Amino acid sequence: MKYAYYPGCSLHSTAKGFDMSVKDVCKKLDIELWEVPDWACCGASSAHSFGHLLGLAVPAKTLVPAEKEGLDIVAPCAACWQRLVWVNHEVNSNPKMKEKINKAIGAELNGTSNVLSVMEAIAAAGEEKISQAVKKPLKGLKVAAYYGCYYVKPPKIAHVDDPERPHMIDDLMAAVGAEPVDWPYKTECCGASLNFVDFNTTLAMSKKVVDIAVKSGADIIVTACPICQMNLDMLQAKMNKKFGTNFNIPVCYFTQLMAVAMGSSPADVGMNKNYVPFESTLAKSG
Amino acid sequence: MSAEVINLSQLQNDHGDFVERVRKMSGQDVRKCYQCGKCSAGCPVHNCEGMDVSPNRIMRMVQMGMEEDVLRTKTIWICVLCSTCTARCPRDIDIARVMDALRIMSFERKITEPAKTANIFHEMFMNNIKKYGRMYEFGFAVGYTMKTGYMLNLLDVGPATLLKGNLAFFPPHMKNSSQIREIAENVEKIERMEGEH
Repeated sequence: MKYAYYPGCSLHSTAKGFDMSVKDVCKKLDIELWEVPDWACCGASSAHSFGHLLGLAVPAKTLVPAEKEGLDIVAPCAACWQRLVWVNHEVNSNPKMKEKINKAIGAELNGTSNVLSVMEAIAAAGEEKISQAVKKPLKGLKVAAYYGCYYVKPPKIAHVDDPERPHMIDDLMAAVGAEPVDWPYKTECCGASLNFVDFNTTLAMSKKVVDIAVKSGADIIVTACPICQMNLDMLQAKMNKKFGTNFNIPVCYFTQLMAVAMGSSPADVGMNKNYVPFESTLAKSG
Repeated sequence: MSAEVINLSQLQNDHGDFVERVRKMSGQDVRKCYQCGKCSAGCPVHNCEGMDVSPNRIMRMVQMGMEEDVLRTKTIWICVLCSTCTARCPRDIDIARVMDALRIMSFERKITEPAKTANIFHEMFMNNIKKYGRMYEFGFAVGYTMKTGYMLNLLDVGPATLLKGNLAFFPPHMKNSSQIREIAENVEKIERMEGEH
């Protein structure tokens, strides 16, 4: 299978480990990724707050080359993914808006490339293919799969999975031998980019998520979103200081755990770029 | 002493103009809201005391035509657009879309005082991607901190972040780095022409 690939700004900067692990897992599953040439920022989380058209036109251009190649497109960043989904939604349902978007980008976009989240693209490879690729099943590792908001809300636009009880990442974790824990905060918001506007509120929001994951018996939290990963991981030391907690739970991308189960070393997929140490947790499995 | 009696239907008739403009901007009819409060009960920002006015009250304020007050709330800027409210609204209102529309209206009116850092954040973000085509995170972090003092909160994790190679020191490099600026200029032209018609 071949997809167009839109890494987005985060995967070239704060979320390099996501980029590395997505590429690694896709390679192992014979999924070919063709990076959109000269892609630009999707505009999240600001362009749409200056105008609906601006919020659509900025990410729209990225879809043009994918469409020309006749490829569906994979966008691993949750915010990029949702912005692209919005573009397709408007182009396919609102002819006036389609005309305006095309005028703004100076190109013809018809909304024919499906925009896929990375979990959809990986799950589409099939259970058999995934289980064949596993070399070191993550036995005994209790994983809290954290989906955040953008993949499942608002449900009319973003419907990768159920908005309250999604299971797609849980299934992928089970497929590589880990043990997904059932927990209630799978789609509770971490605060996202509010981190840069109202720090204390974000800290309180992220703390709730980490707290419930720990109380649900998880050894590790996995995410599919760069800003979720950053907030839950980087802010743990701050949470401990402010709330007197003692959190020390690693937070990584679900693709990083998949890559490790498929035989890659954690460093090869950027796990050493995460903040909370993961070594002793991973040593538990197997 | 009895509470003041409000005739909501009358009030909505008298102030229908604002709710109608919000509908045009967001595609959402806020008149449908019947104040069940589910949006506020599930709002993660409100539950962490980040808002000055709860989401269901914002909906009521829009219904009552309280434009001047609603555009000056912190809530509309602090909403993180997680859309939990939208997912749970029994009246099928995309409340997050309404919040985004209210931001646009407040920005157009140049009302910035209730959420200064949010306004600076979004403006600097746009300027950054207009200049580089992609987000130059390190440049943004330094500029934003100098302007707001904000990221001093994160100063202690800064060195680790740089050492781990999680922030690129140099600006992103691409062929056509002015494409977002060009798109933004086109959008401005299109919207200006629409305004004239």
